[in-house]
Amino acid sequence: MAGLSTDVLVIGGGATGAGVAWDAALRGLHVVLADRADLGEGTSGRFHGLLHSGGRYVVKDPLAAEECIAENRILRRIAADCIEDTGGLFVTTPSDDPAYAERFAEGCRATGVDCEEVEPAEVLREEPRLHPGISRAFRVPDANIDAWKTAWALARGAHERSGARVLPYHAAEAIHRRGDQVVGARLRDVRTGDELEVEARVTVNATGAWAGRIAGLAGIEGVRVLPGRGIMIAMNHRLVNTVVNRCQMPTDGDILVPIRTVCVMGTTDVHTDDPDDQTVAEDEVQAMLEDGERLVPGFRRARALRVWTGVRPLFQDTKEGVASTRDVTRAHTLLDHAERDGVGGFVTITGGKLTTFRLMAEETVDAVCRHLGEERPCTTATEPLPGSEDGEHYMLGERLARREDGLLDDQLVCECELVTRRKLEEAMRRRGTSNLDDFRRVLRLGMGPCQGGFCMYRAAGIMHGLDGMSAEQANAALLGFLVERWKGVWPILYGDQLRQARLDDWIFQGVLDVGHLRE
Amino acid sequence: MRRTLHYDAVVVGAGVAGLTAAARLAESGARVCVLAKGVGSTHLAPGTVDVLGYEPDGSEPPRRVDSPARALPAFVAERTDHPYALLGVDSIRPALEWFAERIEHGPQQGYRYLGEMERNHLLPTAVGAARPSALVPETMAAGDLRGTGPICVVGLHPLRDLWASLCAANIVRLGVEARAVEVGLDVDRPDENALGLARRFEDPGFRRTFADRLAPQLRDDERVALPAVLGVRDPHGVWSELETWLGRPVFEIPTVPPSVPGMRVSDALRAALRAAGGRLVVGAEVGGAERDGERVTALQAHTAGRDTTYAARWVVLATGGFNSGALALGSDWVVRETVLGLPVRGAPAPGARRFVPEYFGEQPMSRVGVAVDPNQRAEGLENVIVAGAALPGAEPWREGSGEGIAITSGHRAAELVRAEEGLGAAV
Amino acid sequence: MTEVLHELLRGSLDHCVKCTICETACPFSNATPLFPGPKYAGPQAERYRVEDEPSVEWSVDYCSGCGICTQVCPQGVKIAELNAQARHKRKQESGVPLRDRLIARPTVLGRLGTPVAPLANATLRSRPFRAAVERAFGVHRDAPVPRFAGRTFRSFARRHSSPPASRRVVYFHGCGTEYYEPDVGEKTVAVLEHNGFQVEIPKQGCCGLPLQSNGLFDDARKYVLRLARALAPQARDGALIVGNATSCTLMLKREAREILGLADDPELKLVSERTYDVCELLLELHDRGELKTHMQPVNEVVAYHAPCQQQGHWIGKPALELLDLVPGLEVRELDARCCGIAGTYGLKREKYDIAMATGADLFRQIGASQAGSVACDSETCRWQIEHATNKPSAHPIELLHRAYGLPPAGADSKRSTLRGVMTRNVERVRNRART
Repeated sequence: MAGLSTDVLVIGGGATGAGVAWDAALRGLHVVLADRADLGEGTSGRFHGLLHSGGRYVVKDPLAAEECIAENRILRRIAADCIEDTGGLFVTTPSDDPAYAERFAEGCRATGVDCEEVEPAEVLREEPRLHPGISRAFRVPDANIDAWKTAWALARGAHERSGARVLPYHAAEAIHRRGDQVVGARLRDVRTGDELEVEARVTVNATGAWAGRIAGLAGIEGVRVLPGRGIMIAMNHRLVNTVVNRCQMPTDGDILVPIRTVCVMGTTDVHTDDPDDQTVAEDEVQAMLEDGERLVPGFRRARALRVWTGVRPLFQDTKEGVASTRDVTRAHTLLDHAERDGVGGFVTITGGKLTTFRLMAEETVDAVCRHLGEERPCTTATEPLPGSEDGEHYMLGERLARREDGLLDDQLVCECELVTRRKLEEAMRRRGTSNLDDFRRVLRLGMGPCQGGFCMYRAAGIMHGLDGMSAEQANAALLGFLVERWKGVWPILYGDQLRQARLDDWIFQGVLDVGHLRE
Repeated sequence: MRRTLHYDAVVVGAGVAGLTAAARLAESGARVCVLAKGVGSTHLAPGTVDVLGYEPDGSEPPRRVDSPARALPAFVAERTDHPYALLGVDSIRPALEWFAERIEHGPQQGYRYLGEMERNHLLPTAVGAARPSALVPETMAAGDLRGTGPICVVGLHPLRDLWASLCAANIVRLGVEARAVEVGLDVDRPDENALGLARRFEDPGFRRTFADRLAPQLRDDERVALPAVLGVRDPHGVWSELETWLGRPVFEIPTVPPSVPGMRVSDALRAALRAAGGRLVVGAEVGGAERDGERVTALQAHTAGRDTTYAARWVVLATGGFNSGALALGSDWVVRETVLGLPVRGAPAPGARRFVPEYFGEQPMSRVGVAVDPNQRAEGLENVIVAGAALPGAEPWREGSGEGIAITSGHRAAELVRAEEGLGAAV
Repeated sequence: MTEVLHELLRGSLDHCVKCTICETACPFSNATPLFPGPKYAGPQAERYRVEDEPSVEWSVDYCSGCGICTQVCPQGVKIAELNAQARHKRKQESGVPLRDRLIARPTVLGRLGTPVAPLANATLRSRPFRAAVERAFGVHRDAPVPRFAGRTFRSFARRHSSPPASRRVVYFHGCGTEYYEPDVGEKTVAVLEHNGFQVEIPKQGCCGLPLQSNGLFDDARKYVLRLARALAPQARDGALIVGNATSCTLMLKREAREILGLADDPELKLVSERTYDVCELLLELHDRGELKTHMQPVNEVVAYHAPCQQQGHWIGKPALELLDLVPGLEVRELDARCCGIAGTYGLKREKYDIAMATGADLFRQIGASQAGSVACDSETCRWQIEHATNKPSAHPIELLHRAYGLPPAGADSKRSTLRGVMTRNVERVRNRART
């Protein structure tokens, strides 16, 4: 069995885990970062893409608001390329309690969240699809952030700075203890079944909603994470170009986030016992569409591409009832198991939100350093991530501009998201994976209106042309993508997307007859 | 001034079903006009005539049909709500014969369809799976996987919609010897769609260069598989010349849409319509109807600037299903027929499953169509006849039945009108 | 551009299923790799466009705005209209060259050239002059330019009084008729009068289409609204507006409202609803049995090309059906897409070759058709066809005029001639070939 030895083993490749790897690498530590799936495939990649200004929490949870605005300002500097500066709005729609607006403005003042009241007419000129009946509007520094791009930039940075090993598709099978000390873990490559022993001075459990399970592997009881699942709906194009929040106490279905070529409506909050619960409940979909109508009249007639479920990790150290998860604190939790359980070399970080991942990572690596007995100051607040050195934010038109440059010499594979053949082949060689869904996350391959209808056959064909790829693998990749995609498509399949799905079915089941590749 | 044009029959939709109905009616002497929002789904279809390729009998994947003629009687006996049960198995053959004749006497000189209902061809798809079709263009017939000779799949670099290496590798998995080669083409762009290549292949110099580059790469007994780009106006000429030059069977494999063989069908049927004096209006979306009791008396078409009224004694509705927008499922999960607001049949009840989570499973929503009587008349209307994918009860792709239903129902729609109007036999 | 309208166009991108039908039909992307196609430039790129980010696409300038994409789209995406918006934004940011400002103003050119027609015509056909113009302004030296007639249609209209009849129409003649082809206008009037219409010809200007297609939206709005004001009074009185220039009538019917964001202008709306292409009107008349069908035989073979913007009326090809009524006339319908000229597109130095390549299929078909002449509804297309094929061309109405045996056009003018349409056009082409 293969083996590795490292300073820090991070289990969990979401934004937090990748952030821990980056932070530790900047402090000169050697890191192994492992995830049972792809980076950002869990909660990090299953949110609406909102970089909070903190506005959402100014009334309900001022502490969270303060954390958010502080981290918002830092991330705009260090992760500029992962962020598009859309700005945000809080609007009082006819469905909202008008009295909340004053509390909101007061809360912004109290927490230091930048906020400027603007005329509804001005807002409607900028965002003509918004409900014409909005009575008040406030501008805040919300933005969007690409979680996959962020996670990979963090992991790449960790690798570049201190040779971090990044191991997607490596599940933690066992966590090894020597007495009261965690000394590493056994990982298994879920694609090949190969096992890998990792010896680590400190192991970080950054598995979010799954933290209880991983802590359990280390023999630690009572780490209770209460998963709250919420659905998000991606619309075919940007109905708004600014993040739009309803100006009311945070509730379901009150945010619309423009991110990349789509906009995402979120979200619901339903308690679940299983962090792998991907249920999309019918009534949640309907409720969300109604909420969409309240923000953007005609929302139901606009084209919905896809729906997905994200599971929030809400840490709870009490044994009380769990009927609603909305009131459990959003703030994150760091468990130093040496202090809590008398087990050294093991730290759990959970809870929190994507906007505060850097802060969570900082606190976590501070704890790691305490375990190591070393003074190593954190520099993540000032050090830009790879790709963000110039401090320029992402612009929506970037891909189109790049495509125009390559118009005459590079093939276009995914026409919706403008993924070129060169880009795809480069990623295929770099990643060495045969899972087309991985390229969806890093390149947005197949994420546009046709949902892979036209590009997935091309991608499978290109992949098969690369060295050492068998027809069976290419077929499995194609079929796997179709099966996976369908999960996010069918619960919200209506209107224009149903037209698309029927054409896609025609292509795959009719013209190509891929169903019979299964024989 | 009334803005009305008068026709014996107005056909809505310019796909295979609509053009078949219209051309057949025009040939019988009727004044016919086709109204279409855009070009028909012919441009997306692979160009084969699939009558019955699979029997969805619960097995996954569904079982392949070798002979539609033999399988159909039992198939319709079991599926009484299927379009074939409605149309009658006996009406398929004459419709297919009519279709094949129109292609043979169409504008593409010498181009014809081969095959019969007794036996399906088994043709490789662009991914290298085997697909059963009853009638196929002559340019595809040599690809039958039960035929002899190894296959050399030729990839054309600027075309993204057929990947030779994957196609060949999967053909090998079917037990047929196959390999892939790539041929560079002198094309001024990195990507070229199938039609663009088809136009280039109509240039004798272009295809000569191609043949010269391909020939040295071929082995003795190989058949040559090419993406279906061998010309759109003169496919017979392009294909037969390549066969001569290369000295071996050459066949086309349908690409991912857009589909050149599909466009040939469209061109041939349009030519038949025009030759018989029928009219075609593309771009005019039908957005309403005038009624008199149980008859539709006129259709309103959205034309530039204003609506135009097309008065008609008969309406043939050949608008397709969900993929063309003729049927729409709302976010309230109600299915609507969008052109005339007709009642639909086969929609899952409220609260019932619309789709199943298994991608390859039988999707309840796919059998929805316009509710019709045994004479294809839309429920409650005496003079609206429904044809093609708008009919309920089929799962065209899972069954491999789309063109069979389209041609037969379009043909029969014309026959029904002809009988009612006492029109003469078709020319 | 009103936001609401843009949102409507943008909203239509939701219908796109990426089927690529528009790109197979696009005459221009098939002729040049510089234009990646209507799907790319329309519903696809639109998802990447944000109001406050700069335009990043140079390629959209190679779209001619012919509108075929919107016509063939089975899903109802306003592709050409989205592209026009993007082109407009691009031009606003990068600036519109003097050339485009000039060639987009046929009235200005027409007024300049008409009084000095013989000199202007000779100059425009002088190789050295054209080479200089190409260098200085970027108008391609070989691009087809029409001949000034030396008189305006207006001068005919002023003298002409239409016999009273129960049916009234307003004739919208367009700039091509005004300055270059007044005889086509006279024949149109004659054919309408022959069929019992009283024809009114109010003073009128350019519809603004060339300005619009060159991205000069503000000027185009002014022009089209001025025209609408000129035509609206009669329309309000119940008269129909009928034109023989299919591009200009399409501008009135649909394009100005959809592309220039003038959907809500009440006068334009009225004019738009009452505007007819002349063949469309005559075919409706025929449908009611009221078109005069007593015609003399015209024993010729003619090829018919329906221009892109004629197809954008979404009325089929009424000219074909009318020509079918002419005894002896054998009409060959051409199915090639486009002649390439697209109004002013093919005049431009950097686009001339693309335009000729775009039209190549049509020119080949014309050559192969063995027709003696070409019938086509749009004047700029006819000029391009004559330029590329050396075959004479005519508006379908000219053929009807001949079949009706009506007195030749210009009979009441100084340039009286007894030759038929085709004979004279043959002459015209021969002259051109000599110069």
